[in-house]
Amino acid sequence: MSPVGVAPRLSRRRALVLLGAAVPALAACSTSAADAGPDPLIPLAERARTDVALVTAAITADPGLTGVLDPLRSARVDHADALQKEIDRLAGATTPTAAPQAAAPSGAADMAAVRQAVDAAAREATGLIGGLPVERVGLVGSVAACCSAYATVLGSPA
Amino acid sequence: MSGTQLDAGAVSALQGALAAEHAALWSYTLILAFVPADQAAVARTDIIAHRTLRSQIEQTLTDVGARPVSAQPAYTTPVPVTDVLSAGRLAVTAEADALGAWRSVLEHTTNVQLRAAAFKALAEGTARAARWRLATGTTPVIPSLPGITR
Repeated sequence: MSPVGVAPRLSRRRALVLLGAAVPALAACSTSAADAGPDPLIPLAERARTDVALVTAAITADPGLTGVLDPLRSARVDHADALQKEIDRLAGATTPTAAPQAAAPSGAADMAAVRQAVDAAAREATGLIGGLPVERVGLVGSVAACCSAYATVLGSPA
Repeated sequence: MSGTQLDAGAVSALQGALAAEHAALWSYTLILAFVPADQAAVARTDIIAHRTLRSQIEQTLTDVGARPVSAQPAYTTPVPVTDVLSAGRLAVTAEADALGAWRSVLEHTTNVQLRAAAFKALAEGTARAARWRLATGTTPVIPSLPGITR
Protein backbone atom coordinates (compact mmCIF):
# COMPACT_ATOMS: atom_id res chain seq x y z
CA MET A 1 0.00 0.00 0.00
CA SER A 2 1.42 3.34 -0.90
CA PRO A 3 -1.02 5.99 0.19
CA VAL A 4 -0.91 9.03 -2.04
CA GLY A 5 -1.04 11.78 0.48
CA VAL A 6 -1.88 15.41 0.12
CA ALA A 7 1.33 17.39 -0.15
CA PRO A 8 1.93 19.20 3.10
CA ARG A 9 2.90 22.39 1.31
CA LEU A 10 -0.62 22.87 0.00
CA SER A 11 -2.21 25.49 2.15
CA ARG A 12 -5.46 24.70 3.93
CA ARG A 13 -7.10 27.44 1.94
CA ARG A 14 -6.37 25.55 -1.23
CA ALA A 15 -7.31 22.24 0.31
CA LEU A 16 -8.10 19.78 -2.42
CA VAL A 17 -11.81 19.69 -2.94
CA LEU A 18 -12.24 15.96 -3.45
CA LEU A 19 -9.28 15.01 -1.36
CA GLY A 20 -10.54 17.09 1.55
CA ALA A 21 -14.06 15.71 1.52
CA ALA A 22 -13.42 12.77 3.79
CA VAL A 23 -16.42 10.90 5.05
CA PRO A 24 -15.67 10.38 8.76
CA ALA A 25 -16.65 6.71 8.63
CA LEU A 26 -14.06 6.12 5.92
CA ALA A 27 -11.37 8.31 7.38
CA ALA A 28 -11.30 6.13 10.45
CA CYS A 29 -10.56 3.04 8.39
CA SER A 30 -7.44 1.01 8.54
CA THR A 31 -5.44 1.04 5.34
CA SER A 32 -3.67 -2.22 6.05
CA ALA A 33 -5.57 -4.53 3.76
CA ALA A 34 -2.69 -6.88 3.16
CA ASP A 35 -2.58 -8.10 6.77
CA ALA A 36 -2.76 -11.78 7.37
CA GLY A 37 -6.07 -12.76 8.83
CA PRO A 38 -9.49 -13.72 7.67
CA ASP A 39 -10.60 -12.28 4.36
CA PRO A 40 -12.64 -9.13 5.19
CA LEU A 41 -15.03 -10.01 2.35
CA ILE A 42 -16.18 -13.18 4.12
CA PRO A 43 -18.58 -11.34 6.51
CA LEU A 44 -19.97 -9.39 3.54
CA ALA A 45 -20.68 -12.59 1.59
CA GLU A 46 -22.22 -14.20 4.69
CA ARG A 47 -24.39 -11.16 5.26
CA ALA A 48 -25.54 -11.21 1.65
CA ARG A 49 -26.58 -14.87 1.99
CA THR A 50 -28.34 -14.15 5.28
CA ASP A 51 -30.19 -11.27 3.62
CA VAL A 52 -31.34 -13.55 0.80
CA ALA A 53 -32.80 -15.90 3.40
CA LEU A 54 -34.39 -13.01 5.30
CA VAL A 55 -35.94 -11.42 2.21
CA THR A 56 -37.21 -14.81 1.05
CA ALA A 57 -38.83 -15.37 4.45
CA ALA A 58 -40.34 -11.87 4.42
CA ILE A 59 -41.87 -12.50 0.99
CA THR A 60 -43.19 -15.89 2.11
CA ALA A 61 -44.78 -14.28 5.17
CA ASP A 62 -46.32 -11.49 3.10
CA PRO A 63 -46.48 -12.19 -0.65
CA GLY A 64 -47.68 -8.60 -1.10
CA LEU A 65 -44.05 -7.55 -0.60
CA THR A 66 -42.83 -9.53 -3.63
CA GLY A 67 -42.84 -6.60 -6.03
CA VAL A 68 -40.87 -4.41 -3.65
CA LEU A 69 -38.47 -7.00 -2.28
CA ASP A 70 -37.81 -9.45 -5.10
CA PRO A 71 -35.33 -7.10 -6.86
CA LEU A 72 -33.48 -6.74 -3.55
CA ARG A 73 -33.32 -10.52 -3.21
CA SER A 74 -31.84 -10.78 -6.72
CA ALA A 75 -29.30 -8.08 -5.91
CA ARG A 76 -28.19 -9.83 -2.72
CA VAL A 77 -27.88 -13.14 -4.63
CA ASP A 78 -25.61 -11.33 -7.11
CA HIS A 79 -23.63 -9.82 -4.24
CA ALA A 80 -23.14 -13.18 -2.53
CA ASP A 81 -21.97 -14.75 -5.80
CA ALA A 82 -19.60 -11.92 -6.76
CA LEU A 83 -18.11 -11.65 -3.26
CA GLN A 84 -17.64 -15.42 -2.95
CA LYS A 85 -15.92 -15.49 -6.34
CA GLU A 86 -13.48 -12.81 -5.16
CA ILE A 87 -12.91 -14.60 -1.84
CA ASP A 88 -12.15 -17.83 -3.73
CA ARG A 89 -9.86 -16.00 -6.15
CA LEU A 90 -7.74 -14.59 -3.36
CA ALA A 91 -7.70 -17.90 -1.50
CA GLY A 92 -6.39 -19.50 -4.69
CA ALA A 93 -9.14 -22.04 -4.70
CA THR A 94 -8.95 -24.04 -7.91
CA THR A 95 -12.57 -25.05 -7.64
CA PRO A 96 -15.08 -22.55 -6.28
CA THR A 97 -16.10 -23.14 -2.71
CA ALA A 98 -19.68 -24.25 -2.38
CA ALA A 99 -21.33 -21.31 -0.67
CA PRO A 100 -22.76 -22.37 2.67
CA GLN A 101 -26.51 -22.06 2.90
CA ALA A 102 -27.61 -19.33 5.25
CA ALA A 103 -29.79 -20.44 8.12
CA ALA A 104 -33.39 -19.29 8.20
CA PRO A 105 -33.69 -15.99 10.03
CA SER A 106 -34.18 -16.44 13.75
CA GLY A 107 -36.11 -13.23 14.39
CA ALA A 108 -39.06 -11.61 12.66
CA ALA A 109 -38.90 -11.63 8.87
CA ASP A 110 -40.80 -8.48 8.00
CA MET A 111 -40.22 -5.16 6.28
CA ALA A 112 -38.67 -3.62 9.40
CA ALA A 113 -36.15 -6.45 9.63
CA VAL A 114 -35.31 -6.11 5.93
CA ARG A 115 -34.81 -2.36 6.28
CA GLN A 116 -32.49 -2.89 9.20
CA ALA A 117 -30.55 -5.59 7.35
CA VAL A 118 -29.99 -3.59 4.17
CA ASP A 119 -28.97 -0.55 6.17
CA ALA A 120 -26.46 -2.66 8.13
CA ALA A 121 -25.17 -4.18 4.87
CA ALA A 122 -24.58 -0.74 3.38
CA ARG A 123 -22.72 0.39 6.50
CA GLU A 124 -20.56 -2.72 6.72
CA ALA A 125 -19.49 -2.58 3.06
CA THR A 126 -18.93 1.20 3.17
CA GLY A 127 -16.69 0.75 6.19
CA LEU A 128 -14.26 -1.39 4.17
CA ILE A 129 -13.80 1.03 1.26
CA GLY A 130 -10.90 3.00 2.71
CA GLY A 131 -8.68 0.01 3.31
CA LEU A 132 -9.21 -2.50 0.52
CA PRO A 133 -6.65 -3.10 -2.26
CA VAL A 134 -7.47 -1.49 -5.60
CA GLU A 135 -8.53 -4.74 -7.27
CA ARG A 136 -11.27 -5.33 -4.66
CA VAL A 137 -12.52 -1.85 -3.78
CA GLY A 138 -14.65 -1.48 -6.92
CA LEU A 139 -16.67 -4.59 -6.14
CA VAL A 140 -17.23 -3.64 -2.51
CA GLY A 141 -18.00 -0.04 -3.48
CA SER A 142 -20.65 -1.24 -5.92
CA VAL A 143 -22.18 -3.56 -3.30
CA ALA A 144 -22.23 -0.68 -0.80
CA ALA A 145 -23.78 1.73 -3.32
CA CYS A 146 -26.49 -0.78 -4.21
CA CYS A 147 -27.37 -1.50 -0.55
CA SER A 148 -27.27 2.20 0.24
CA ALA A 149 -29.74 2.92 -2.58
CA TYR A 150 -32.07 0.17 -1.34
CA ALA A 151 -31.82 1.54 2.20
CA THR A 152 -32.95 4.92 0.84
CA VAL A 153 -35.78 3.43 -1.20
CA LEU A 154 -37.06 1.22 1.61
CA GLY A 155 -36.79 3.97 4.22
CA SER A 156 -34.97 4.15 7.51
CA PRO A 157 -35.11 1.21 9.88
CA ALA A 158 -37.96 1.67 12.32
CA MET B 1 6.21 15.69 -11.75
CA SER B 2 6.94 17.53 -8.54
CA GLY B 3 3.84 19.11 -7.15
CA THR B 4 1.70 16.12 -8.05
CA GLN B 5 -0.01 14.45 -5.14
CA LEU B 6 -1.95 11.85 -7.09
CA ASP B 7 -0.37 9.23 -9.31
CA ALA B 8 -0.99 9.14 -13.04
CA GLY B 9 -3.61 6.41 -12.77
CA ALA B 10 -5.72 8.41 -10.33
CA VAL B 11 -5.39 11.59 -12.41
CA SER B 12 -6.40 9.70 -15.55
CA ALA B 13 -9.42 8.18 -13.79
CA LEU B 14 -10.44 11.63 -12.53
CA GLN B 15 -10.18 12.99 -16.07
CA GLY B 16 -12.46 10.15 -17.15
CA ALA B 17 -14.96 11.11 -14.45
CA LEU B 18 -14.75 14.74 -15.56
CA ALA B 19 -15.43 13.77 -19.18
CA ALA B 20 -18.46 11.77 -18.01
CA GLU B 21 -19.71 14.72 -15.94
CA HIS B 22 -19.35 17.05 -18.95
CA ALA B 23 -21.35 14.58 -21.05
CA ALA B 24 -24.02 14.21 -18.34
CA LEU B 25 -24.46 17.99 -18.12
CA TRP B 26 -24.79 18.29 -21.88
CA SER B 27 -27.31 15.42 -21.83
CA TYR B 28 -29.47 16.98 -19.13
CA THR B 29 -29.68 20.24 -21.06
CA LEU B 30 -31.11 18.27 -23.98
CA ILE B 31 -33.36 16.23 -21.67
CA LEU B 32 -34.92 19.41 -20.25
CA ALA B 33 -36.37 20.19 -23.69
CA PHE B 34 -38.37 16.96 -23.81
CA VAL B 35 -39.63 16.12 -20.32
CA PRO B 36 -42.72 17.34 -18.45
CA ALA B 37 -42.49 19.74 -15.53
CA ASP B 38 -42.16 17.12 -12.78
CA GLN B 39 -39.27 15.37 -14.52
CA ALA B 40 -37.71 18.71 -15.45
CA ALA B 41 -37.60 19.57 -11.75
CA VAL B 42 -35.76 16.30 -11.09
CA ALA B 43 -33.42 17.00 -14.00
CA ARG B 44 -32.59 20.44 -12.61
CA THR B 45 -31.71 18.92 -9.24
CA ASP B 46 -29.54 16.37 -11.04
CA ILE B 47 -27.83 19.14 -13.01
CA ILE B 48 -26.90 20.88 -9.77
CA ALA B 49 -25.39 17.63 -8.46
CA HIS B 50 -23.36 17.10 -11.64
CA ARG B 51 -22.17 20.72 -11.69
CA THR B 52 -20.93 20.30 -8.13
CA LEU B 53 -19.06 17.12 -9.06
CA ARG B 54 -17.62 18.76 -12.18
CA SER B 55 -16.26 21.74 -10.29
CA GLN B 56 -14.87 19.51 -7.53
CA ILE B 57 -12.96 17.41 -10.06
CA GLU B 58 -11.72 20.49 -11.94
CA GLN B 59 -10.47 22.07 -8.73
CA THR B 60 -8.82 18.86 -7.60
CA LEU B 61 -7.08 18.31 -10.96
CA THR B 62 -5.89 21.92 -10.99
CA ASP B 63 -4.59 21.58 -7.43
CA VAL B 64 -2.50 18.54 -8.36
CA GLY B 65 -1.12 20.31 -11.44
CA ALA B 66 -3.18 18.59 -14.13
CA ARG B 67 -5.13 20.43 -16.82
CA PRO B 68 -8.81 19.42 -16.55
CA VAL B 69 -10.25 18.04 -19.79
CA SER B 70 -12.73 20.33 -21.55
CA ALA B 71 -16.28 19.55 -22.53
CA GLN B 72 -16.96 18.65 -26.15
CA PRO B 73 -19.15 21.09 -28.07
CA ALA B 74 -21.69 18.30 -28.59
CA TYR B 75 -22.10 14.58 -27.98
CA THR B 76 -23.60 11.72 -29.93
CA THR B 77 -26.55 10.14 -28.15
CA PRO B 78 -26.96 6.34 -28.36
CA VAL B 79 -30.42 6.83 -29.85
CA PRO B 80 -32.01 10.06 -31.14
CA VAL B 81 -33.79 11.99 -28.39
CA THR B 82 -37.25 12.81 -29.70
CA ASP B 83 -39.67 12.37 -26.81
CA VAL B 84 -40.09 11.89 -23.05
CA LEU B 85 -39.02 8.24 -23.09
CA SER B 86 -35.90 8.67 -25.21
CA ALA B 87 -34.96 11.69 -23.08
CA GLY B 88 -35.34 9.63 -19.90
CA ARG B 89 -33.25 6.86 -21.42
CA LEU B 90 -30.50 9.34 -22.20
CA ALA B 91 -30.45 10.25 -18.50
CA VAL B 92 -30.18 6.54 -17.66
CA THR B 93 -27.20 6.21 -20.03
CA ALA B 94 -25.51 9.39 -18.84
CA GLU B 95 -25.83 8.33 -15.21
CA ALA B 96 -24.57 4.82 -15.96
CA ASP B 97 -21.52 6.25 -17.75
CA ALA B 98 -20.80 8.53 -14.80
CA LEU B 99 -21.16 5.64 -12.35
CA GLY B 100 -18.65 3.60 -14.34
CA ALA B 101 -16.23 6.51 -14.32
CA TRP B 102 -16.56 7.07 -10.56
CA ARG B 103 -16.11 3.39 -9.88
CA SER B 104 -12.92 3.62 -11.90
CA VAL B 105 -11.70 6.49 -9.70
CA LEU B 106 -12.34 4.28 -6.68
CA GLU B 107 -10.22 1.53 -8.26
CA HIS B 108 -7.35 3.82 -9.23
CA THR B 109 -6.43 5.35 -5.91
CA THR B 110 -5.47 4.29 -2.42
CA ASN B 111 -6.02 7.83 -1.12
CA VAL B 112 -8.68 7.34 1.55
CA GLN B 113 -10.22 10.76 1.03
CA LEU B 114 -10.42 10.46 -2.74
CA ARG B 115 -11.95 7.02 -2.29
CA ALA B 116 -14.54 8.50 0.06
CA ALA B 117 -15.41 11.19 -2.47
CA ALA B 118 -15.60 8.66 -5.31
CA PHE B 119 -17.82 6.37 -3.25
CA LYS B 120 -20.10 9.27 -2.32
CA ALA B 121 -20.47 10.07 -6.04
CA LEU B 122 -21.12 6.38 -6.79
CA ALA B 123 -23.77 6.03 -4.06
CA GLU B 124 -25.55 9.31 -4.79
CA GLY B 125 -25.39 8.62 -8.52
CA THR B 126 -26.97 5.20 -7.98
CA ALA B 127 -29.93 6.87 -6.27
CA ARG B 128 -30.12 9.52 -9.02
CA ALA B 129 -30.01 6.87 -11.75
CA ALA B 130 -32.75 4.88 -9.98
CA ARG B 131 -35.30 7.68 -10.49
CA TRP B 132 -34.68 7.75 -14.26
CA ARG B 133 -34.64 3.98 -14.49
CA LEU B 134 -38.00 3.87 -12.69
CA ALA B 135 -39.42 6.60 -14.94
CA THR B 136 -38.34 4.75 -18.09
CA GLY B 137 -39.27 1.24 -16.97
CA THR B 138 -35.62 0.20 -16.92
CA THR B 139 -35.06 -2.82 -14.66
CA PRO B 140 -33.60 -3.42 -12.25
CA VAL B 141 -34.27 0.07 -10.93
CA ILE B 142 -31.21 -0.38 -8.72
CA PRO B 143 -28.54 -2.49 -10.48
CA SER B 144 -26.79 -5.09 -8.33
CA LEU B 145 -23.36 -3.64 -9.00
CA PRO B 146 -23.64 0.05 -9.90
CA GLY B 147 -20.74 1.10 -12.08
CA ILE B 148 -20.48 -2.37 -13.64
CA THR B 149 -23.93 -3.76 -14.41
CA ARG B 150 -26.39 -1.57 -16.27
